[in-house]
Amino acid sequence: MQDLELLQDGLALMALGMGFVFVFLTVLVISVTLMSKLIGRFQPIPAAATESQNSRKSAASSAQSSTQSSAQNDEIVAVISAAVHRYRSTRHR
Amino acid sequence: MDKLVTLWEGSGLYNLELGQAAMIVVGLVLLYLAIYKKFEPLLLVPIGFGGILANIPEAGLAISALDQAIEVAKPAVLQQMAAVLGTTLDPLTNTEAWRELLKAVAHDGAAPDQVRAARDVAMNVGYSDGMLYSFYNVAIASGIAPLIIFMGVGAMTDFGPLLANPRTLFLGAAAQFGIFATLFGAVALTSLGVMDFSLNQAAAIGIIGGADGPTSIYVSSMLAPELLGAIAVAAYAYMALVPLIQPPIMRLLTTEKERQIKMTQLRPVSKLEKVVFPLVLLILVALFLPDAAPLLGMFCFGNLMRECGVVERLSDTAQNALINIVTIVLGLAVGSKLMAESFLSFETLGILGLGIVAFGIGTAAGVLMAKLMNLMSKMPINPLIGAAGVSAVPMAARVANKVGLEANPHNFLLMHAMGPNVAGVIGSAVAAGVMIKYLS
Repeated sequence: MQDLELLQDGLALMALGMGFVFVFLTVLVISVTLMSKLIGRFQPIPAAATESQNSRKSAASSAQSSTQSSAQNDEIVAVISAAVHRYRSTRHR
Repeated sequence: MDKLVTLWEGSGLYNLELGQAAMIVVGLVLLYLAIYKKFEPLLLVPIGFGGILANIPEAGLAISALDQAIEVAKPAVLQQMAAVLGTTLDPLTNTEAWRELLKAVAHDGAAPDQVRAARDVAMNVGYSDGMLYSFYNVAIASGIAPLIIFMGVGAMTDFGPLLANPRTLFLGAAAQFGIFATLFGAVALTSLGVMDFSLNQAAAIGIIGGADGPTSIYVSSMLAPELLGAIAVAAYAYMALVPLIQPPIMRLLTTEKERQIKMTQLRPVSKLEKVVFPLVLLILVALFLPDAAPLLGMFCFGNLMRECGVVERLSDTAQNALINIVTIVLGLAVGSKLMAESFLSFETLGILGLGIVAFGIGTAAGVLMAKLMNLMSKMPINPLIGAAGVSAVPMAARVANKVGLEANPHNFLLMHAMGPNVAGVIGSAVAAGVMIKYLS
């Protein structure tokens, strides 16, 4: 009789525990997704960062192809001014 | 001649009991596994050595001042303690019988203040708590050591892959099924009359399936301290065995084609997201499950120190020096629980058996959940990463990567598997919180 009670308790704890773990992590998934969206909207740094990374790469490759400094400098100036512009526009909003 | 006899009677050889000898052998086996087989050496070396120290006869490294006095003090001291404890010692029987009687009274019959008084008597005549006993009280009974280790783990964890693909949290949740299935298994064995576990003990055994050393130790120190030695040894030994336990289950449940699935590249995650994430997690824990707050709170704290970037020194200490110090103390303290009377029993075999079942079920549940998610979502998910949902960071993720590479040598799953892997840490801490809430 007592064994049956123990078994029931075990089953209840199993259902409750598993259910709660899922509910909690579901809430976590939702809030993390929301957080990422919010941050992505108000501070699109990752996009800018990857862009500048890409352009740095292309700058590096263009340097190798010996078209030399002036074209490269132009590109760098363009990239930097774009970044500054973007930074300012996000700041002033 | 008398002096010679005293010396002989004080020697380890004279006092060695069979159980202690067996436990010293167990300690040596643990050391062998750690040193030659490289099973989680960072923990099994201190645990094994602590186990040997705890079982040195007469030294009393793992027992309190009171127990030590009862075991070795002179008859006059014994009588003094008996008076304090409110019993009388029959002068006709020998001292051995007195010791037995006092032990029984001190551990069951006596009121707390009587026990405290008897302890004072023992302290007065110069006995003190054994070193390992003190380690246990300071580090484990208070819950501090597992929590500090959790902080260090938080400081070492990169949540990037998880933030890039938050749905992998479900895999970490699914793999916790191993914990609860094992809990139910332990209860079922009890009701069948095979073993004898209470619900608290069953919960502490189940948490082995969380594959998370500090969580296991934390939960069992709260719910079933008497099983702590066996549970900690099982948890760390099986964590070392993850590369052997998981792959057959993973291969059994997936087809060759599923194992070859390539996953899309993870998006870059901004620093701000990584800084905010531990705070979001902390707030959710505070709102929904305060019982998991010690574990996840320290975890979030460690992670925040890592990601915020302004306390490099603290983060560095948490993930190196501090975690190492605490690991030494924790290992020795766990070793102090490897005492013959609690470890050498049929139940220990049950714990070891149930522990491996817990790992297997957790792995299977993670893989099956990943298959389900792969069917339902547009983004392909390789079912192998589900197996990483049983925490065991980063071993389980490496195993998923390795099995994936066997199917397709150009498919690197490591970063994808880190998501469910750290999700598993959160999941098992949440499961631990639920159990503590439900049972205490």
